[in-house]
Amino acid sequence: MIASGIKRGTAELAVLSVLESGPLHGYEIARHIEQQTKGSLRFTLAALYPMLYRLEKLKLVQGSWESSPNGRRRRCYRLTATGKKKLVPLRKEWSQLFVALRQLAGGSNA
Amino acid sequence: MPDWRGLVRQRLTGIQLKEHEAAEVIEELADHLEDAYRSFLRKGLLEEECVQEVLREVSSWRDLRAEIESSRKREPAMNKRVSQFWFPAFLTLFLSQVALMLIQEFGPRDYLSPAASHPRMLPQNAVFAAWLVTLPLIGALGAYLSGRAGGHAKSIFAAVTFPVLPFLALVLIGLPLALIFDDHVARGFSIPLFFVAFSAWVVFPAMALVAGGWHLFHLRPWSGRSQVSGI
Repeated sequence: MIASGIKRGTAELAVLSVLESGPLHGYEIARHIEQQTKGSLRFTLAALYPMLYRLEKLKLVQGSWESSPNGRRRRCYRLTATGKKKLVPLRKEWSQLFVALRQLAGGSNA
Repeated sequence: MPDWRGLVRQRLTGIQLKEHEAAEVIEELADHLEDAYRSFLRKGLLEEECVQEVLREVSSWRDLRAEIESSRKREPAMNKRVSQFWFPAFLTLFLSQVALMLIQEFGPRDYLSPAASHPRMLPQNAVFAAWLVTLPLIGALGAYLSGRAGGHAKSIFAAVTFPVLPFLALVLIGLPLALIFDDHVARGFSIPLFFVAFSAWVVFPAMALVAGGWHLFHLRPWSGRSQVSGI
């Protein structure tokens, strides 16, 4: 399992990344992240929604109520143009950080 | 099936959101809990176990309520406008006027001309030049305050150049009116004089103010302010 501090920092990247493939509602976002990270990242309701609202306030995602084929009304989130733009440097930053950490961890093990 | 809406509504009682916003949040969170509950049921857990598992999604409803309030809270647009534009704009205007008054009061003094036909002369250019020197500093302060409040290029520029607006209004509105209604002004008016006045009270001060702000723009770029988050 990844330490909780790192998880917090990567959470927004994770949410923005899963929304890249299309709009999802909150529960689907949490499940997609869990599945795609093979359970390393798991979002509880308490962690997910405050962050989604924050991302919405920053205009990185946009939430809207939509009706599913079975008539159930759900709030779906989609990535905005600003969010898409933000995702590129964000991925780069985190990738650089992980490379640096890997080097550091490798160095200390040697 | 447990009443998830009722449970969320009860746990979030007193949440500081507008009524419709609170209702939306309750509906959304209840949907999430319901989905989780159904998912546990599909995995073969007993109903009681499913409820227990779902309740683990939130360890502290009080903390969640506070986090939702803070993440959904929108700063009133007026506050933003005040901090990004009006406050720095009026501060730069006030400081530029104070600087002009102080320079006139304590700056270069009148002197006695040796020529008998010109007993006293005020070195206007010296006063103006001294005032112009102070403007980049005032512009830098205005740009800093507007930029620190999250102002974008337009609001920073508007706040920094605000002190020249009264002069601009005077030249563009006051002068034409004076030309129409005051014969004395009309007789003394000339196009070159108009350009000198326009340059002296609008163009040069604006350039000096922007020069000060411009320097600061490079130190504190206003783009990329909405950082997502680090570790």
